[in-house]
Amino acid sequence: MTAPLLAPLLNVEAIGISFGGLKAVQSFTLKIPRGGLHGLIGPNGAGKTTVFNLLTGVYVPQTGSIELDGTKLIGKKTYQIAAAGLSRTFQNIRLFPDLSVIDNVRLGMHLRGRHTLRDTLLRTFTFARQEQAIEDRAMELLRLFDLEARSEEYARNLPYGDQRRLEIIRALATEPKLILLDEPAAGMNPAEKNDLAKSIEQIREKFGLTVLLIEHDMGLVMDICERITVLDYGQTIAEGTPDEIQSNPKVIEAYLGEEVK
Amino acid sequence: MSLLAAETSRQRIDRPAAIARSLLPLAGIVIGALLIHGAGASLGQYPSRVMLDCGVAIIAAVSLTIVNGFTGQFSIGHAAFIAIGGYTAGFCTYYFALSRGIDPGGVNASLLGGPQWVMAAACILAGIVAAGIGWIVGLPSLRLRGDYLAIVTLGFGEIVRVLIQQTAPQIDSAAEFRQTGWIAALLPPAVGGSLGLRDTPKTTNLFWLFIAVGICLLFAFRLKYSSLGRALISIREDEIAAEAMGVNVTKLKVRAFVFAAFFAGVAGALCAHIPGVPMNPADAGFQRSFDIVMMVVLGGLGSISGATVAAILITLITAFTLALAEYDLLQYRMPVFAILLILMMIFRPRGIFGLNEIWDWLPGFRRKRNLLENQRGFDVEEKA
Repeated sequence: MTAPLLAPLLNVEAIGISFGGLKAVQSFTLKIPRGGLHGLIGPNGAGKTTVFNLLTGVYVPQTGSIELDGTKLIGKKTYQIAAAGLSRTFQNIRLFPDLSVIDNVRLGMHLRGRHTLRDTLLRTFTFARQEQAIEDRAMELLRLFDLEARSEEYARNLPYGDQRRLEIIRALATEPKLILLDEPAAGMNPAEKNDLAKSIEQIREKFGLTVLLIEHDMGLVMDICERITVLDYGQTIAEGTPDEIQSNPKVIEAYLGEEVK
Repeated sequence: MSLLAAETSRQRIDRPAAIARSLLPLAGIVIGALLIHGAGASLGQYPSRVMLDCGVAIIAAVSLTIVNGFTGQFSIGHAAFIAIGGYTAGFCTYYFALSRGIDPGGVNASLLGGPQWVMAAACILAGIVAAGIGWIVGLPSLRLRGDYLAIVTLGFGEIVRVLIQQTAPQIDSAAEFRQTGWIAALLPPAVGGSLGLRDTPKTTNLFWLFIAVGICLLFAFRLKYSSLGRALISIREDEIAAEAMGVNVTKLKVRAFVFAAFFAGVAGALCAHIPGVPMNPADAGFQRSFDIVMMVVLGGLGSISGATVAAILITLITAFTLALAEYDLLQYRMPVFAILLILMMIFRPRGIFGLNEIWDWLPGFRRKRNLLENQRGFDVEEKA
């Protein structure tokens, strides 16, 4: 079932979770239109990554509802949510270090294929066709991000920036509708950050994807995001366009502290 | 329809070549098994006995590689599945022979005689029983991680060992068995308790054993170089990332465990029919399990050819110390293994072959790895 075009692709209604007495995230609401690029910012410990974990099914929200393109996500397991069209990258890179670059991308396509034991063991025509298709598509994606020359290298041997990009490629290989990027610019130098901004633009143009971005680098967030949500102590303190956020007193207070009178 | 499905339907393949790639290895296995059988016959009794032990060790080590090497789950109760398979098959063939009024211990090995086919059927049954028990054990325990899984599998092995010790004595004569029948023999299982299961038909020979070795290797290689195998390996690499990429981690872990248990069962079934060694409860014990884990770790976690080489190496060292029994060398077996493992930790901490296969070390092979060459790689392994 596909929701009407005007409805938001991701519709998060008042989700919350607490760990014991700690209210990690409270009534968090988020609507991202199809093709949108939304930023999620906040000081350290504000609950940004917890929101990602709630969306991807690592934690189950205690209240509220999550809908992706008309599909309810609450109660689904992480791998089912990935199949529903939500893919992510990780704050601390989580590639498959001892697999080659191309195998990392191939693995991303796993959930779109059919893998029966019969086909695998007998090496049927179906199997050969699918493996060839997986390889072709993986090379195509690598080519798009200029990584094809390194396709046979171990993922762990890639330079840092390339590892970040490979994580994005792997997420793209799952054919997502929405991609969550968890601090993709962390640890990057300015040149790499520029490349990253370009890659994100490319993702949106070529794949028509919707992006939710957690990022500490304000320059990047303010440059590329259309709308931004600010979290502090698990609460949404502001939501709006980059200009609105920059001049919002509550946001300034959360980041810099109260004004001295 | 997904983009991948669309791309798949666009693919055109060379059908005759695909059929050849699919079936030729099977012919290779039969020819290879015949050659090994011939070699064993010309080398004499003791060398061929050592080759039998090697074959069993290879199946055990390669099947454990699927769990410990591919999915990275640390199971140390593999011998339990070998014992389960061995006792299941031994029970079937022993009492089948008795029911036909034949002396089971007098049945000898031939190449393609009737008793061999009975044994083959018993092997498959043993594999299925072991796989079923693997499924039952794996379903709850594979939710555990790391040390906890190791403890559960270790405990499982000990439970199986003790249960086998408590079984009823074997029924010796055909006349008595006719009276009691199959049900009485099965409840409780009359497989000899702590005395071991004696006088099973001696039907295992090099040909049949190496057919099983070949099938096990083919299974492992085809699994490793497929999307299914990559998904298993991704669990070893990073479970959280694998799950986030849409891999059903729990289901695949259980599946890997079941595959491994199946082949362990087959290995046990073949082991139970080797001349001169009765199955006994110690076969399910920690010592045997640890030998297999050692082979897998020594060969390199995840390397099928590594496990094969290590299985042969360790069996040969054992055989060597046994052969020199008159010099009282057997007691040095364990120190030799210990030194071997220490040397490995210093010089090759990831095992003899690490994560790779033998041919990954050949020049030019690692660079252009695709399906076709993986297939060629298998033939290299066959000749080796």
